[in-house]
Amino acid sequence: MAAGSSGALARALARALAALDDSGAMEKIRLIPQDFFAELCEQIIQHLNHKIPGINTVDLCQRIQTSGVDINIGDLAKVANTLSFLFSTAARNNLSTEELVTTLGSGVSMLPKHAVQVIRHVWNEQGKAIAVSEDARDMATVGQFVDMKWKLGVAMSSDTCRSLKYPYVTVTLTVADPSGQITDKSFEMTVPQFKNFFRQFKEMASVLETV
Amino acid sequence: MAAPEPQPPEGCRALSALLSGIAQVTFHGNARITEELLRAQLYPEAPPEEFRALRAKMGGLLQSIASADMDSNQLEAFLTAQTKKQGGITSDQAAVIAKFWKNHRTQIHESLINQSRWDNVLKNMNWRVDLKSQLRHIDQINTPVAIVEMELGKNGQESEFLCLEFDEAKMSQMLKKLSEIEESMTLLTQTT
Repeated sequence: MAAGSSGALARALARALAALDDSGAMEKIRLIPQDFFAELCEQIIQHLNHKIPGINTVDLCQRIQTSGVDINIGDLAKVANTLSFLFSTAARNNLSTEELVTTLGSGVSMLPKHAVQVIRHVWNEQGKAIAVSEDARDMATVGQFVDMKWKLGVAMSSDTCRSLKYPYVTVTLTVADPSGQITDKSFEMTVPQFKNFFRQFKEMASVLETV
Repeated sequence: MAAPEPQPPEGCRALSALLSGIAQVTFHGNARITEELLRAQLYPEAPPEEFRALRAKMGGLLQSIASADMDSNQLEAFLTAQTKKQGGITSDQAAVIAKFWKNHRTQIHESLINQSRWDNVLKNMNWRVDLKSQLRHIDQINTPVAIVEMELGKNGQESEFLCLEFDEAKMSQMLKKLSEIEESMTLLTQTT
């Protein structure tokens, strides 16, 4: 790896860590217990390897909070995004474990010792397997469908109408956004709207089959 | 207390138009139709207080009818009772109201439904099918995927665009869930 590009790389990684520090999220890394930090890194690597659709930050955050650590979902998301950037940059540049630690350079002194140990271990075990796809950048705006929940209700009456009586379905889509965060999006449909929705998906399915 | 007596057939037309105007304001949120506008256009000869009384009475009746989403039997019973009341309506007026409700019931009911939808709705949806080729992941070479763009948002507020990718497996999963919904919906509409 040429000295010039390693310098640029080191600066890029250092900037990412510095940004994390500025936002106050670096403080939080210090608080995350080692095993949770390792789990986070594992999920990030698996996501980069396309083994899982996303990183379940909500679940992880709750479990960390239950263990007594005061961290909010926003901070955890920032930490996850930064780590994801670190690992994918390292993958794109085919860094060995030592190169990764060296390139983190001054950033390493910001990270707590146990975090560096975890990053080093995870990268050693699984880093080489990441093959970063060219398409990943093009699909930057597209999320992955993970799951769907639904419930059917009937609106009986309201303050403006005593006899509404219309059935509607509430759908919650669990999606993994391009950065790996898993979120829920909900919306309602009336019967005719649902019928149209279903019809369109059936059309899509038949096109998928014939392509 | 005598209500202003519209002379048929002009009177019927005026009343019908009045009901339309009231519906526009009450159910479709059209704020430009003022009482003064209605009076000037439809009952220019009527003194303002008399017109106000007529408008209030018709508005109240329409409100009751819409709130109960009356079917033809309920409506007939309701209007008949109104014709027998002191200070009620004439049978001509009842006929005009009945005809109006018959023609506008669905539209007004839909408006009332929309007024009570405060959560995100699906405003629009577009889709296309792509052939995705990723050379480094052998199991993903040339997979067809559906890219779906959904416009979500609350009524009258800014939308959020959700763009999702579905491969064949995910599409099957989605279709299965949608079938479940359809089944439940059919059961529901059969029993109500």
